[in-house]
Amino acid sequence: MTESSVKKLSNGDRCYSTNGVKPGKNGCVKNHYLYKKQHCYPEEKIYHVEHNGGLYKRPFNEVFEETPMLVAVLTYMGYGILTIFGYLRDFLRKWKIEKCQNATEREEQKDFVPLYQDFENFYTRNLYMRIRDSWNRPICSVPGAKFDVMDRVSYDYNWTFKYTGKVVKDVINMGSYNYLGFAENHGLCVDAAADVTMKYGVGVSSTRREMGNLGKHEELEKLVARFLGVEAAMAFGMGFATNSMNIPALVGKGCLILSDELNHASLVLGARLSGATIRVFKHNNMQSLEKLLKDAIVHGQPRTHRPWKKILILVEGIYSMEGSIIRLPEVIALKKKYKAFLYLDEAHSIGALGPSGKGVVEYFGLDPKDVDIMMGTFTKSFGAAGGYIGGKKELIDYLFTHSHSAVYATSMSPPVVEQIITSMKCIMGEDGTTLGQDRIKQLAENTRYFRRKLQEMGFIIYGNSDSPVVPLMLYMPAKIGAFGREMLKRNIGVVVVGFPATPIIESRARFCLSAAHTKEMLDTALRMISEVGDLLQLKYSRHSLVPLLD
Amino acid sequence: FSSQVKMNVGVAHSEVNPNTRVMNSRGIWLTYALGVGMLHIVLLSIPFFSVPVVWTLTNVIHNLGMYVFLHAVKGTPFETPDQGKARLLTHWEQLDYGVQFTSSRKFFTISPIILYFLASFYTKYDPTHFIINTASLLSVLIPKLPQLHGVRIFGINKY
Repeated sequence: MTESSVKKLSNGDRCYSTNGVKPGKNGCVKNHYLYKKQHCYPEEKIYHVEHNGGLYKRPFNEVFEETPMLVAVLTYMGYGILTIFGYLRDFLRKWKIEKCQNATEREEQKDFVPLYQDFENFYTRNLYMRIRDSWNRPICSVPGAKFDVMDRVSYDYNWTFKYTGKVVKDVINMGSYNYLGFAENHGLCVDAAADVTMKYGVGVSSTRREMGNLGKHEELEKLVARFLGVEAAMAFGMGFATNSMNIPALVGKGCLILSDELNHASLVLGARLSGATIRVFKHNNMQSLEKLLKDAIVHGQPRTHRPWKKILILVEGIYSMEGSIIRLPEVIALKKKYKAFLYLDEAHSIGALGPSGKGVVEYFGLDPKDVDIMMGTFTKSFGAAGGYIGGKKELIDYLFTHSHSAVYATSMSPPVVEQIITSMKCIMGEDGTTLGQDRIKQLAENTRYFRRKLQEMGFIIYGNSDSPVVPLMLYMPAKIGAFGREMLKRNIGVVVVGFPATPIIESRARFCLSAAHTKEMLDTALRMISEVGDLLQLKYSRHSLVPLLD
Repeated sequence: FSSQVKMNVGVAHSEVNPNTRVMNSRGIWLTYALGVGMLHIVLLSIPFFSVPVVWTLTNVIHNLGMYVFLHAVKGTPFETPDQGKARLLTHWEQLDYGVQFTSSRKFFTISPIILYFLASFYTKYDPTHFIINTASLLSVLIPKLPQLHGVRIFGINKY
């Protein structure tokens, strides 16, 4: 039958995970189990959260509410109408009734074999161009909790933009991955980075293995290893390149990669570049993963049935488009049972989860030594750029010699390194202040408050209740553009995403919370979101929630 | 949206060609059925046409639309990161990456047949209507056969 957006998790209601109970088809407990429980407090009857013994030391509450059928039908109709109008406009452009604003071939080359297929551009011409002003907005201040957006207008329906010269000031920033608020231009991180720039300069002009290995890099790597609780770590200049250049160094032909359905492009690229066999398991679905592991071990390689050289499980800590957190205790249990290796990409979860910001491993209370390769980026919570890989000392020594990034890519720039060192020390509390700890607490509070309020208002929110990434479902293509524009009118900057980046009916607006957001900012944002939600009729949720009294 | 994206950068999934999954998404079969129903009602409201003519017209227009969108238009309306493997494939051939006899394929094979039965009944098996309806049905059923996967007769629609 048709898939629903939530097939991956549950059949339309809340999903709870318990240990020791045979789970339902999609990796969670069937609903009837819940209602057998005796201790069901009346005011919590609808929003009952299970505490799990055994693997999970804290409640794991992840919800993906199913798309209402009416909304799905209207969304398809919307896309259908847009497609028909797209064909009409293409027809008008071809017969020169309307001016064609796209780049076209020159007259002399009309009879040559075309370089590009113009149908591949259909979406961009006819759908993306209509709402293009919601993306690539130029900003002219540091993207902290508030930023300044340059005002632009378009007189030819977004084909070209003109700047009016005005600047929209103090737009609340709900789109930057600024989880701990380190994207700022004052404070001790900035002063330290400025000092280091004076001392070391800005560029390194060499790779790590030639002249580019500064003392700062070694200091950073020792600090990262200490922060994560692993033996050794290695830092790279670009977060994307960390994944795409190191996975080929770790696995090759004859190995098996089990990757999650919604993995980021860097992981997918790294997996493809490595030459290993890739099998995809359903998002966060432990049944699917276990089935794949069992099949892999029982059947071996496809034709020859020889055993696989290595089995590597690729998962992320927080999935930024869904806001879901990986079920790490179960993954580690599976990994140990079937003797596979685990590669954990903590791009969004490092610094954002866990009581002291040490990521998803600390959030679940697990041992970092269980995760074979802990990868993460410095871009999100640390306000810098680059990525790291942490693990055993043999692994890091091997990567130093075999990774493409280490051998060929220029090493990190010194002020960036200093920014990471200062922010990491701040998070760990080693700079003598409690600023890091305060920020982590503030982020957790903001997350809980924001998510709770949005659910009470009646929006459909995806993801785990502890994740600072909050996707709000919009569904219809016209609402994507409308939401972006209306929010900017009310001085709030949001990120909206649509097809083909998401499945066709699941376009969304994604809010990223930050420790730099104060409660007043969140209240303003929530008020505006509620206003726009009423205006655009976005409050689709059919679950009722008892409002808290705070 | 991702403008002129060469990789899956910024996408929420590792699906190489989202076109393969569209016909499996939630609510699309219902939307399709409602669309055909709407077409029929619009045609019924035109006063010149009698009921058999309306049914034949519904059948023919539906099959024409299905042929154009599923079997004539090739490629994807957006760039895919697989370097254009699907550029020469029609939407039908792209469904589920070429796996035959999936539920979407079965649904879209059965629906023109059901429409044909209804049209035959309502036209009271009149010979002219029969020929038109059968020709139209064959034009939309034959491209769906697994033996014709990737086949271009006389080189029509090859590139």
